[in-house]
Amino acid sequence: MTNSTTDVENVIREYLTMVEKVPETFDGDVKLFADGVGLDSLETAELSAILEDHFGNDPYSAGDTPETVGEILRFYSVQGAEAS
Amino acid sequence: MIELLRRVRDVDPDRPAVVTHDGTATYGDLHAAAESIARALTESAISRIAVTDVEAAGVIPALAGASRVGTEACIYPPAEPAEITDLLARFDHHDCIAGSPDVDHLAKPLGAPSENASLPSDTPEERPHLVLTTGTTGTPRGVRHDWNRLLRGVERVEPAPEDRWLLAYGIHQFAGLQVLLHVAAAGSTLVAPTPRRPREGLRAIRELGVTHLSATPTYWRFLLAEMQSDGGGSPPLRQITLGGEAIPGTLLEKLGQVFPDARISQVYAASEFGSSGSVRDGQAGLPIDVIGRDEDAPVDMKVVDGQLWMRSRTGMLGYYGEESVDADGWRPTGDLVEVVGDRILFRGRTSEVINVGGVKIHPLPIENLVAGVPGVAICRVHGRPSPVTGSIVAVEVVLLPGHADADVRSAIRAACSELPAAARPRSITFVDSVTTIGNKVIRSTS
Repeated sequence: MTNSTTDVENVIREYLTMVEKVPETFDGDVKLFADGVGLDSLETAELSAILEDHFGNDPYSAGDTPETVGEILRFYSVQGAEAS
Repeated sequence: MIELLRRVRDVDPDRPAVVTHDGTATYGDLHAAAESIARALTESAISRIAVTDVEAAGVIPALAGASRVGTEACIYPPAEPAEITDLLARFDHHDCIAGSPDVDHLAKPLGAPSENASLPSDTPEERPHLVLTTGTTGTPRGVRHDWNRLLRGVERVEPAPEDRWLLAYGIHQFAGLQVLLHVAAAGSTLVAPTPRRPREGLRAIRELGVTHLSATPTYWRFLLAEMQSDGGGSPPLRQITLGGEAIPGTLLEKLGQVFPDARISQVYAASEFGSSGSVRDGQAGLPIDVIGRDEDAPVDMKVVDGQLWMRSRTGMLGYYGEESVDADGWRPTGDLVEVVGDRILFRGRTSEVINVGGVKIHPLPIENLVAGVPGVAICRVHGRPSPVTGSIVAVEVVLLPGHADADVRSAIRAACSELPAAARPRSITFVDSVTTIGNKVIRSTS
């Protein structure tokens, strides 16, 4: 799987659907934690592992703590830009 | 050891001792080979020797010959030359039986004895033997045993010349040595396929008339999966023995269903502690009465802070390179247990505990839960490093044919939904095989 914005969005949406926390409007502004969809630390760890499994790395393992879907997308878009 | 071979040789020298697809070695053959090795060891005054042969018909005479003259033999696991080289250096071995061109410059192969080579009239009092641990938690350690202690465990074995035991362990493993001792004491036959994987084991069971099998729960799970794949039906086993790992009740039930005519025994044994006997009640865990036995009992157990401790007078003398241990002393086994009613249930190894955000999780109960999910052939629960919580619970799954990973993933999540949040698998991956050493699942690594 590539780390295109669409692919990353799909993986995040699938995960939020699986844990029954997908918001009605899914976009980059969606907040991941308490005042958003409400991922707890274990769910965040799970999302981190899933992103790593799909794309080979993930923002949490890289030392970032993205708080929105958009920040995760930016992590991969910056990576894509650096790689190209 | 050699006395067990001699006992059968004296009454029935042509009885098969070791059977493979390639041929048969009789008790007479093995005894003659053992005496030849004993003479060669005496002639060369060798006190310690590595055995690098991997065929049972070669290893057994080496063990028996060494035991005859008090040479400390150490059977190496099947390994690449680099690992053999490392073991030779680690355990200071300069002589070997079998050998290979890759390591002959490091350890001199034992030659044939001269015509004049003789045997001492008496067997020495001290007859050491060195067992290497399987290294499931790191580098193998040498465990010093004595043949007199080892043989004490089979003094009461009844003759059973018709029994055919599959060698599912290597004889370099303590469990394999136990099977060999039992077979030789009973005058039975060892069926020894190479390699020892469950697939080849199943073929040997079907084609070479195996009636008895002792193996780890992991081996049994793989064997059941192989049987399901080949569709050949249940072979007529009469004895099923499990040991070496915690044994879940679900596996005991499954084996009882698949092999309705077999007697099922569980053995609690370890290289360091020897064997504590067997349990035949078909329930998971040990009965509570193994705790607090009489002072005179050779083995006693107790539970300290959730860990099983043992006192064993039938176990090792000590580790290689270390002082001998006190046979009356208590030592931790590394097995985490919980007393539930009148049973001691195994929860995992101390080295396998997963720290999820400060919560200690034992992988075994989770693994047992996942193993019961339809579509799961084999699974392994372990800790996976996480930047968020330190570790998460991860599971690797080998699927049964005809099952889709998405369906099985959902079923696993559903099966684990009642577990505490930290214990639920957060990483589920599908693999072709799971990591094992010595037919034991490795849970301590990611």
